[in-house]
Amino acid sequence: MDLLLHLAIVIAIYAIFALSLNVEVGYTGLFNFGHVAFFAIGAYTSALLTLAGFPFTIGLLAGLVLAGLCGYLLSIPALKLQGDYFGIATLGFGEILRMVVNNEVWLTKGPMGLPGIPRPDLFGVVFDTLPAYLALSGGFALVTFAILAFVVLSPFGRALKAVRDDETAAEILGKNAFRFKIKSFVIGSVFAGLAGVLWAHYTTFIGPGDFTLTETILVLLIVVMGGKGTFLGPVVGAVALIFFQESVRFLRLPPEWTRLLGPLQQMVFGLLLVVLMVFRPEGIIREKGGRRGD
Amino acid sequence: MDSISYYLQTVLNGILAGCIYALFAMGLTLIYGVLNFVNFAHGELIMWGAYFLFLFMGEPFGLPLYAAILPALALTGCLGLAMDYSVFRPIRRANRLTLLIAAMGLSVFLRNAAQFFWGAEVRTYGLEVTAGMRFFGLTITAPQLAIIAVTLLCVAAVYLLFFKSRLGKSMRALSDNLDLARISGIDTKRAILAAWVISAVLAAVGGILLALDTNLSPEMGVINLIKAFAATLIGGVGNLWGALLGGMLIGLAENLGVLFISPGYKDAVAFVIMVIILLARPYVIIGERSD
Amino acid sequence: MKRGAGAVIEIRNVTKAFGGTRAVSDCTISLEGLTITGLIGPNGSGKTTLFNLITGLLKPDSGEIRFLGNRIDGRLPHDMAQLGLIRTFQLSRVFPRMTVLENMLLAPQGQTGERLLSLWFRLPKIRSEESENRERALDLLDLLGLTRLHDQFAENLSYGQQKLLELGRALMAKPKMILLDEPTAGINPTLIRTMIEMILTMRERGQVFFIIEHNMDVVIEVCEKVFVLDHGEKIAEGRPEEIQKDPRVIEAYLGC
Repeated sequence: MDLLLHLAIVIAIYAIFALSLNVEVGYTGLFNFGHVAFFAIGAYTSALLTLAGFPFTIGLLAGLVLAGLCGYLLSIPALKLQGDYFGIATLGFGEILRMVVNNEVWLTKGPMGLPGIPRPDLFGVVFDTLPAYLALSGGFALVTFAILAFVVLSPFGRALKAVRDDETAAEILGKNAFRFKIKSFVIGSVFAGLAGVLWAHYTTFIGPGDFTLTETILVLLIVVMGGKGTFLGPVVGAVALIFFQESVRFLRLPPEWTRLLGPLQQMVFGLLLVVLMVFRPEGIIREKGGRRGD
Repeated sequence: MDSISYYLQTVLNGILAGCIYALFAMGLTLIYGVLNFVNFAHGELIMWGAYFLFLFMGEPFGLPLYAAILPALALTGCLGLAMDYSVFRPIRRANRLTLLIAAMGLSVFLRNAAQFFWGAEVRTYGLEVTAGMRFFGLTITAPQLAIIAVTLLCVAAVYLLFFKSRLGKSMRALSDNLDLARISGIDTKRAILAAWVISAVLAAVGGILLALDTNLSPEMGVINLIKAFAATLIGGVGNLWGALLGGMLIGLAENLGVLFISPGYKDAVAFVIMVIILLARPYVIIGERSD
Repeated sequence: MKRGAGAVIEIRNVTKAFGGTRAVSDCTISLEGLTITGLIGPNGSGKTTLFNLITGLLKPDSGEIRFLGNRIDGRLPHDMAQLGLIRTFQLSRVFPRMTVLENMLLAPQGQTGERLLSLWFRLPKIRSEESENRERALDLLDLLGLTRLHDQFAENLSYGQQKLLELGRALMAKPKMILLDEPTAGINPTLIRTMIEMILTMRERGQVFFIIEHNMDVVIEVCEKVFVLDHGEKIAEGRPEEIQKDPRVIEAYLGC
């Protein structure tokens, strides 16, 4: 039972993370391979502040604001790049951030990480049991879903999709593509930061090793496999992949096997990405479009 | 006097690193030029090249270094061909991002496959550590001399192949325009196969040299891919000499850079250079670009 | 909509070269208000390049372009639309994975709902703008004969219907001037008729057009003034009947 609760919590957090990436990848066509950096910024900001004695609400808000701000600052130069150059530049940013976190020991305790992150204390309620945390993260997940759905269905979202599908035609209709992309990037960064905050206060211990390329690939896989540019896609992807990843804990295996399981899982993830790109790049849940029987 | 030889040693280290990066970059830029995509799994060709040598030198083969090199290179060449055949050929016509993601997936797969077989620990070839030789106040070891010699050899071989052979001419034609080359009756299949083999072999040679000088680990491909990409960008996509130059520049910049910044950021140097170059290119105003 | 009788667009000594070839060469054209102006010329004479220069997709090597007196050369395309200049494309560029209605709703300028912050604070205004725009869109679609297709994805429309949609979309933006790039190319005669009727109806309502056309029948029926380009240079201007008989024009068309 505890395992199921744990699973649900991780799914909720990764659903937020995936939904945030989906705004950039699915709805704006921006392949941000450094998304994990904003997850990390949210996590570290809130962790450091709450460890210093500030209340959770401050940590949360600061995490969101800082993640969004960094997203804004990064997007301005990065969006001058096209397609895969943008992908590689954002990837680089993610890696550089990790190096900074690793090296600036005075701030982040470097590779030793930050232990003992306090559980959230909101309106007098301390969320330190599994069901409570599920309520917290599940609640945030629902709010995220609602907010992002609202944004995507609005005229803003409509213009965003136009920019994604045909930037020139959208420009000709008066849409400032650059500004739309920046806004989309900031939205994505803020919600990635939210996921990071929830993660830090759940695991209560974070280190630079939690925010590597592996996490980027995982969330990318979730979005791409679930179906980018749809509402349910990232959620379905999160359920499927987190289940697969965490279900290892259900199996009780001899120690020699567990050492191999990690790389084996990653091999499956890599293979999944390849197979998806070859056979079904749209993912499980397809976007609207195509012939309708009329 | 002492500090001069210290700086010279740093420059030498820069050149050595540069040679290796040049090999990596040349392989990467070759595929980028001929097939117009970034092979994100190139780092794994580097890594597997080094591990194949490890494989042949260990049980049950137990070959000495010189005997093990050929099979290692051959197997890496096959790996490159297999990568193209199974993943990249089916999606040859897909957009650049699909190719990039597929390559990323392949990279994850290969990296973890190595970890699966050999574990995540750092290893070495177990060769005797020889004392460095002294030249004009600089120290250089045998493997390091090999780096320079082998790189020169590879560059010469690439030059002959690319500019003095018919196969090279085909590859250059593909680099210019894939479809046009097809229509012109150039044997594109052979040229593509050749490009993969050369790219993989260059990666393997570089990986082996790197592992001889330092060590092996499943993660060694990733950071070197980034550096190779940076070098490729400096030199221009598809430009072999540019890649050579770019690699040398990065090797020197990295090593000289550590004189001023913390060693923990050494790997970031190549990255920062790359970002600066990417941003310094003229901003493409929205136009009718076919991509 | 402004009913200015002065020059709406002024192109002065504009040149644009690609490599060694001049696509547009020292071109000076003045487009008046209250007119439908045509731009004709053999293939490759620089007509679409000129459109690209006017709408900001290209920057002229020299010369100036003014729209309602303001310099626009070198500005970004989205600025043009916001100033009231909309264009269509030779190969229709509707958004295939959006419905016909959504395509139309993208066009109005200055929508409050497109501003991210306004979404939270000005919802009622956004709602009323949306319903106003919907009504106007459906009216236009009705004139175009596309009403029953309003919730079909644009990629399901026939090519001719897509071009009509593009025109409707341009009109939705309430522009001061519309640049039409070969609006009747590749569509069947019935839809050509609809297109012409639409253009003429809008002309009556004060809409100004600048049209690239190959179909001389359409040019004669619709355009009040015509400019002729050949190899990037303006070689004639005048009423359609006049330029038809102009020997330089005849030679340009025969010579290619």
